[in-house]
Amino acid sequence: MTTNTILPQKIRRSWLLVPASQKERSVTAAKSNADVVLLDLVEFVSDRDKPSAREGIAETVRELREGGAEVFVQVDSELLYADLHACVCPELTGIVIAHLESIAQIQEADTLLSQLEDERGILSGALEIVASLETAQANQDAFQIATASPRISGLTLGRAELVMDLRPEPSGEIHLMQYLMQRLITVAGAVGVQPYGAWCREPDRGLLATPENTSNAAIRGRAVGFKGSFCVLENQVEPLNSGFTPGAQEVDEASQLLKQYQAAVTEGAASIRIADRIFDAGASLQAQATIDRASKIAVHDQAKADAQAGRPVPAP
Amino acid sequence: MAEEIGVHRSGLTMPVVTPRFVDNAWRRGCDFINLDLEDSVPQHMKGYARTLIKDAIANVTKGGAEAFTRINHDLVQADLEGIVWPGLSKVNYPKAEYPEEIEKLDRIISRLERERGIRPGTVEIGANIETSVGVANAYDIASASPRVKEFGGAGGYDMSRDLGVEMFVGFDQFVYGKGEVELAARALGLEPHTAPFTANTTGSVGDPDRAFREAEAARKCGFRVGGGLHPNVVEPQTRGFTPTQEEVAEAHQTLDQYRKLEVSGETWADIDGKIIDRYEAARARRLLEWSAACARRDQAKAEAVARVEAVGE
Amino acid sequence: MSILIRRSNLMVPVTNDRFVQGAWRHGADAITLDLEDGVVPAFKASARGLVKDAVAAVGKGAAEIFVRVNKEFMEADIDASVWPGLSGIMLPKVESPEDVIQASELLRALEGKRGIEPGTLNLIVLLESANAIWRVREIISAGERVSQVGIDESDLSAKLGISPLPEYDPFVYARGRVAIEGTAAGVQPVGIAYPLGAMASLLPDEDMLKIATDSKNLGFKGIICPHPSWISSVNTAFTPTESEVDFYTQVREVFAQAIAAGTAAVPFHGRMIDVPVDEWAKVVMATSTACRQRDAEKQTALAAASR
Repeated sequence: MTTNTILPQKIRRSWLLVPASQKERSVTAAKSNADVVLLDLVEFVSDRDKPSAREGIAETVRELREGGAEVFVQVDSELLYADLHACVCPELTGIVIAHLESIAQIQEADTLLSQLEDERGILSGALEIVASLETAQANQDAFQIATASPRISGLTLGRAELVMDLRPEPSGEIHLMQYLMQRLITVAGAVGVQPYGAWCREPDRGLLATPENTSNAAIRGRAVGFKGSFCVLENQVEPLNSGFTPGAQEVDEASQLLKQYQAAVTEGAASIRIADRIFDAGASLQAQATIDRASKIAVHDQAKADAQAGRPVPAP
Repeated sequence: MAEEIGVHRSGLTMPVVTPRFVDNAWRRGCDFINLDLEDSVPQHMKGYARTLIKDAIANVTKGGAEAFTRINHDLVQADLEGIVWPGLSKVNYPKAEYPEEIEKLDRIISRLERERGIRPGTVEIGANIETSVGVANAYDIASASPRVKEFGGAGGYDMSRDLGVEMFVGFDQFVYGKGEVELAARALGLEPHTAPFTANTTGSVGDPDRAFREAEAARKCGFRVGGGLHPNVVEPQTRGFTPTQEEVAEAHQTLDQYRKLEVSGETWADIDGKIIDRYEAARARRLLEWSAACARRDQAKAEAVARVEAVGE
Repeated sequence: MSILIRRSNLMVPVTNDRFVQGAWRHGADAITLDLEDGVVPAFKASARGLVKDAVAAVGKGAAEIFVRVNKEFMEADIDASVWPGLSGIMLPKVESPEDVIQASELLRALEGKRGIEPGTLNLIVLLESANAIWRVREIISAGERVSQVGIDESDLSAKLGISPLPEYDPFVYARGRVAIEGTAAGVQPVGIAYPLGAMASLLPDEDMLKIATDSKNLGFKGIICPHPSWISSVNTAFTPTESEVDFYTQVREVFAQAIAAGTAAVPFHGRMIDVPVDEWAKVVMATSTACRQRDAEKQTALAAASR
């Protein structure tokens, strides 16, 4: 068993899915301000188009990387050999394995990535895997999957509601998703990897939603522990970026609280009351986490802006 | 031949010792009748109750319903000897907690099938999850025998007693337990027998409108299995779990549109605000299969009832 | 059947003398003297010296007494806490079965040394990370002494980088898992319905009663209270009401009549009464009796101490 507790928690709020078969979409994707561009070989590429989509995909990865986004490729769990041979290059950050069925598929991907890293001059172990747990079996085995390779840096439900055919309940919530989301977040937390997803409701469907609904889904998603989410359209990118970023007011309140709390601690008190709320050590840790996250995001956004403007990017 | 889809939209659980329930059961239009040896049968009548099952199976299936029997958690051997007869479709085993229990049931049922001339594998096992221990071991229980085909529970009176909670409190108390059970069922490709939460603060068992609303909501989320305690809920459940004509027409249309999409090489299309893709196509196919299975079942039941009536009672 | 009644457990920083001296008056079933988050780092060492007297002070109202220790100073803190009158230790930030085993060993050794009946000191285990939630079964099965298990939702939020919003409960899964696994293992789950665990606050009594009742109906057996104002609502919520006792008394009568008449399923007020309902009725009535006994003990002690 391996756990990734030391993996840097990168800022990846928005993942824009772009069909690898549509080269023209990658041009607009580069300008979308997504934290991650996810070139797709699975969901939006028909079997007929897969061979041509694989051709030149590494070139597209390079172009996109220059735009400042990280680039992942979404690969098919049953077509790992062909998909990985097509996309692995030094500019690639990692892969998302869609429709994952078994731990063996993670191991296969891990082995292939190691070989390709070796052959193509990439630092050994650099390529990441995000496991997309879209089937019931993959969710059942989530913990074993998440610990099957040290490359795993994230878990997501991807389009689980479509793959598993989960539909809205009378409340508007999508059946079983509250349970599946929180289970995934718990497993990700236990293993030390990032959980990606958003809390969607009817009529959102398969990562597709209006900008407003995307924003709400991101805010709800962040409130239960997700760090970012996938999307299909460019107009969902900004709602995800802002929904997964602590708001200015929230950061301000957290700073105020922390100040008051620290003052109380110097006086010897370990909890304070502000209006009806009791702030204790745990609440102060929450506030500190919010502030830290906001400042990390600010640094990240600056670096992204520099890259988009063609300014030299400082070494990480 | 592909295995026939189980159609268990509506059913009544009844004490096998109450002749008035058992004798009228075939007229109720149920997909199944669950003859109870467990909670509704007093302790001192368990032995007598067992002797009634063989005739009751023949009696309640006259109208085309399948016969199930709910046995006692602690009387497995004796109950199974008394109930596994030709005509029995399923043994419901309450308060399942460990996979070994299911393995034991499987062994005894296999022997009885052989001895009594029943095709191997005919009798299903309903492993009902009704306690915390059962939830904790849900996946192992569900995978303990191929006879387990529908899997559910994690709500209801027994679960509530085990957790020490009042029922009918107006919010969903069992998200975790029901989630564990449904995930196990789906992972193993079993028919999940749970339902979306709908607030019920009365605990009433005989409200037909409520039964229909719940069945319809469950069907729309992909569920197919019903069952209850009161004759009033049979028809609404059967109706609620059956696809409507509009849904069937829509499914045909979806498949037509998907065939065109496949030709075009696109993976999805938005047609008048409705997404067409492989997921919608799969759902449509599943709905049509289910609709056909329901129709076959309804016809079989109608024919069975007609036969009984032709003979005259 | 013997039922552990530990509905309310009041947290009191051992360094706050005013709180320590007043704690026995609030009617809590248990009082936990805090050496951990309730004590600022500068006072950690000196706080240990206060425990022995504090144990004597807070026990006057017949509450069970616990001490919450620091995980990183487990040995020194437990050593400073085990005195006659103590019921056990609240162990925070538990991550593995080894933590429980280590604490149990320390308790076993000190019971011998300090004249306490062997095996009587118990543990309340607090889970504060996703890892602990995932591993809850092994953790609470690691020793006979574990009597209750709960989640510190405030710390868990911080660890998962969650800024909780009152409308969106992030811990439905975690709470459900602890309630189910605790019950399955015979360890009482304790906890509170959202959002009070992640965002503690003071509520009007009727709102507090509602949230405490919801907590009970999620499967919890008690609530750890950061403030005395929670206690009376918590005690009320976890005690069967008079109307419940009346209802289930009737259920038992109706069911007994049905059995005598040869059926074990009988309609009553639109519900179907059968064995599980009758079994639940027994539990409610036994719980009611046990709560009344516990309340009487506390009343007697309070009256004696107030004199």
